[in-house]
Amino acid sequence: MSAQARPIRHTLMTVILLACGAVMLITTAAFIAYEYVTFRQLMVRNVKILGEAIAANSTAALAFDNPDDAREVLAAFKAQPHVVAARLYQRDGQLIASYPDRDPRASKVQPLRADGYRFERGLLTGVQPVVQGSRRMGTLYLESDLGEIYEHFQLFMTIGAVILLVCCIAAYLISRRLQELISRPILALAKTAQRVSEHRDYSVRATRPHGYEFGILTDAFNHMLTRIEGDQTKLRSQLSRLDLLHRITRATGERHDLQSVFRVVLHHLGDDLPLDFACMCVYDASAAALSIAVIDSRSAALAVSLGLAESGQVPIDQNGLARCVSGELVHEPDTREIQFAFPQRFAQAGVRALVVAPLLVESQVFGVLVAARREPDSFSSTDCEFLRQLSEHVALAAHQAQLYGELQRAYDDLRQSQQAILQQERLRALGEMASGIAHDINNAISPAALYTESLLEREPGLSERARSCLTTIQIAIEDVAETVSRMREFYRPRETEMVLSRVACNRVLEQVINLTRARWSDLPQQRGVVIQLRTELTEELPQIMGAEVELRDALTNLIFNAVDAMPEGGTLTLRTRLLTSGSRGADDVTRYVQLEVADTGIGMDEETRRRCLEPFYTTKGERGTGLGLAMVYGMVQRHSAELDIDSAVGRGTTVRLSFAAADEVAVPLAAGTALQPIVRRLRILLVDDDPMLIKSLRDILEQDGHVVTVAEGGQQGIEAFAAALAHGPPFSIVITDLGMPYVDGRKVAASIKAASARTPVIMLTGWGKRLLAENDIPAHVDRVLSKPPRLGELRAALAKLVPPADPADALVESA
Amino acid sequence: MGLLRNIATRRLWRRLALLLIAGGLLGAAQPVSEYQLKAVFLFNFAQFVEWPPAALPRESAPFVIGVLGKDPFGAALDEVVRGETANGHPLEVVRYHNVGEVRDCQILFIAASELPQLEGILAALRGRSILTVTDADSPALHGVMIALVRQEKRIRLRIDLQATKASNLTISSKLLRPAEIVGSGS
Repeated sequence: MSAQARPIRHTLMTVILLACGAVMLITTAAFIAYEYVTFRQLMVRNVKILGEAIAANSTAALAFDNPDDAREVLAAFKAQPHVVAARLYQRDGQLIASYPDRDPRASKVQPLRADGYRFERGLLTGVQPVVQGSRRMGTLYLESDLGEIYEHFQLFMTIGAVILLVCCIAAYLISRRLQELISRPILALAKTAQRVSEHRDYSVRATRPHGYEFGILTDAFNHMLTRIEGDQTKLRSQLSRLDLLHRITRATGERHDLQSVFRVVLHHLGDDLPLDFACMCVYDASAAALSIAVIDSRSAALAVSLGLAESGQVPIDQNGLARCVSGELVHEPDTREIQFAFPQRFAQAGVRALVVAPLLVESQVFGVLVAARREPDSFSSTDCEFLRQLSEHVALAAHQAQLYGELQRAYDDLRQSQQAILQQERLRALGEMASGIAHDINNAISPAALYTESLLEREPGLSERARSCLTTIQIAIEDVAETVSRMREFYRPRETEMVLSRVACNRVLEQVINLTRARWSDLPQQRGVVIQLRTELTEELPQIMGAEVELRDALTNLIFNAVDAMPEGGTLTLRTRLLTSGSRGADDVTRYVQLEVADTGIGMDEETRRRCLEPFYTTKGERGTGLGLAMVYGMVQRHSAELDIDSAVGRGTTVRLSFAAADEVAVPLAAGTALQPIVRRLRILLVDDDPMLIKSLRDILEQDGHVVTVAEGGQQGIEAFAAALAHGPPFSIVITDLGMPYVDGRKVAASIKAASARTPVIMLTGWGKRLLAENDIPAHVDRVLSKPPRLGELRAALAKLVPPADPADALVESA
Repeated sequence: MGLLRNIATRRLWRRLALLLIAGGLLGAAQPVSEYQLKAVFLFNFAQFVEWPPAALPRESAPFVIGVLGKDPFGAALDEVVRGETANGHPLEVVRYHNVGEVRDCQILFIAASELPQLEGILAALRGRSILTVTDADSPALHGVMIALVRQEKRIRLRIDLQATKASNLTISSKLLRPAEIVGSGS
């Protein structure tokens, strides 16, 4: 057994015995040393006293030379057995007597040493002067053996040994008893520690033994156990809280909407942290109120008695919630003692302990977690801390849910705008293409427009039918021009201010019927399909404020759709009616004009019905552009009108357009249409690269009496103008096309203005409407007219731009 | 005083040593004579007898050993006392022819020649603290304080305590032990 493994009681006993033994030995040794020294001194003193006494008694014997007497005196040494020899010498060194009598050594002559007593050769020898008065009579020599010392020491050692033995036995017995005082509490403590570590039972306590240090040790040990036990309990509860937090965090992480996040949090809370009441509220800062989002299902009954219900509101003012919404965790150990309304509400329902934890995101409170228990003071600081942490997690999760929602919305928005951009792009491409087409069409229909107008104006002998046909042609041409000019609207969403005029809906509807007759009558009949047209037009219909052309287009589109919806034939019904809204008899009665296009066709399902207004949505496959209804809808919006679609699969579709009726003001219908009278004849330079247009325009202008010079190109026009300016007569006015090869209208205008600043320049262009709309009149151009040119516009422009006193007129007159 | 005694003792030792050498040299041929021994005895009495203070010599006056009558010592006594002291006084040997001469004397050896006048001498000395010594061997020596008696080859002392008391002298008990006492002390 090593020293370390030796039981403590052995060690203690050994220590005590060794200490006792050592103390005893040292004490004994010290005593022996002391005794030795003192005993020697004592012995010397004794012998000396004896010697002195004998010497004093032997003076007379010496003085008077009496050996007998000397012997008698020396015989006194018999009383002291350790004195083994004594001799008395005369002053002259002569031996006078010896002891014991006849000592053989006495006869030997030995030199006397100096006076004094000394230990030598195992003897104590003394040389004692014999003095009488002041006179030395002789010398006494004596020898004492050390037997006395030895005897003394023998006795002393024996007693010492006995005492040592007794002491050791006593020490052994005492230490045996005393070591228990030390080892027992230590062993008991060790046993307790062992039990604690074996069973992990920290509730065990060591009993407090007597003795100050052991008391302290045991107290410290017990205190440590208490602390460990407390810490363990705390650790365990914290672990379970952590687990709960973890589960809640996981559960909330899987949810993306606030409501279900709140619900799952309350569900877990109710399971693991016993609460009598729990709810989650959302903070509405503007209303200064908490709106209760979710109440834990287990506390539903209590919620009723608290007067709280989901999506109910709790105002925040002086009710103790203000602190919470400013970001603090509010803990009311006893709601009865709080005089605010909100805690009092709990107190009255018998709920005494209340914790309100703020849900903070970026230091903004967006909600609170309310937890309550019936027992007062039942929330520990750990509970509060847990709720605070939980609320942070919940806030984060809720925030994430919010962010997720926002992200989802943003994504949807993005997708929609992407879609819109895509469609915009398609429209733009289409628009650009359409714009080119429009230019060509404008050029192409210009002669038709000019001649039709001219025929209607100048041919009084036309039959009624011819006049009607020509009028329809004129309207068609107008519509074509309008349609073409509106093509760019597809990619120009921000329309310039629309020019509204009074429109009579019945007349427009009749026009549309005529314009579309081919589609609803002739084409179906070729396939053997009959579409009946019924018109139910309300008489005395008020006019509306609108763009006639747009309205016509919209109606045309609707009729086309209706026809397309009836591949097997059916009835197309067109109605107009007058509706009124608002209180009857009051001034603010609003009247509506409703136009209705109804078919008995295939109808639309819900999906189609929902999406039919989207651009490019079509059910017609390759035949459709998906733009018809979208254009209609655009028109409706521009007119602040309403669009209404009734449809059922197999029963047909009815589309209603409702326009606000215009104020009833009598407007002279023909005011704008009167043609300008021809005032003067002018010298006109006409520059264009389109021979058809040149021819028709020349014809018309010449019919008006103007002198027209033609240039079939920009450069040619500039040269003709210069020649006329140089050699006379100069031109009164120049009409030029914009788009021409090599030298376009802008250059022509610039050259003319450079040559003669006062000569007006009219620009004719297939892009004209756009230039006007964009307020983009090129420099050096006095007026822009769009193709197809209208006779009225042309005449008005000429009249306005060329002053009557123009010297050019004179030239014309003279010519 | 101690120093003086020390010096004196040393001187004595030196003399003793010389004497021993001389004795050693002479011892074989000439042993110590009887009177030499008696002279030492006389000298030694000074050590063992106490005199009343009045009887002691004054100041630096010598301690006198007187010899009355025919001097048997020769030079021996003088040699013994030379340089010696007794009770702090130097010793001096004074020889008297009759008792009338005896004045300041502490020890008086009455020689055998004076025995016939002993009565008168003692009477003359009565009341005076003088230690009287004789070596005459006679039973009629009544009144002499110390007698040196020859017994076999040794000299013994016989002390008359009655006489010493009468003279106010105190004899040391040490001296009494080896001596023969005559005359009751009581």
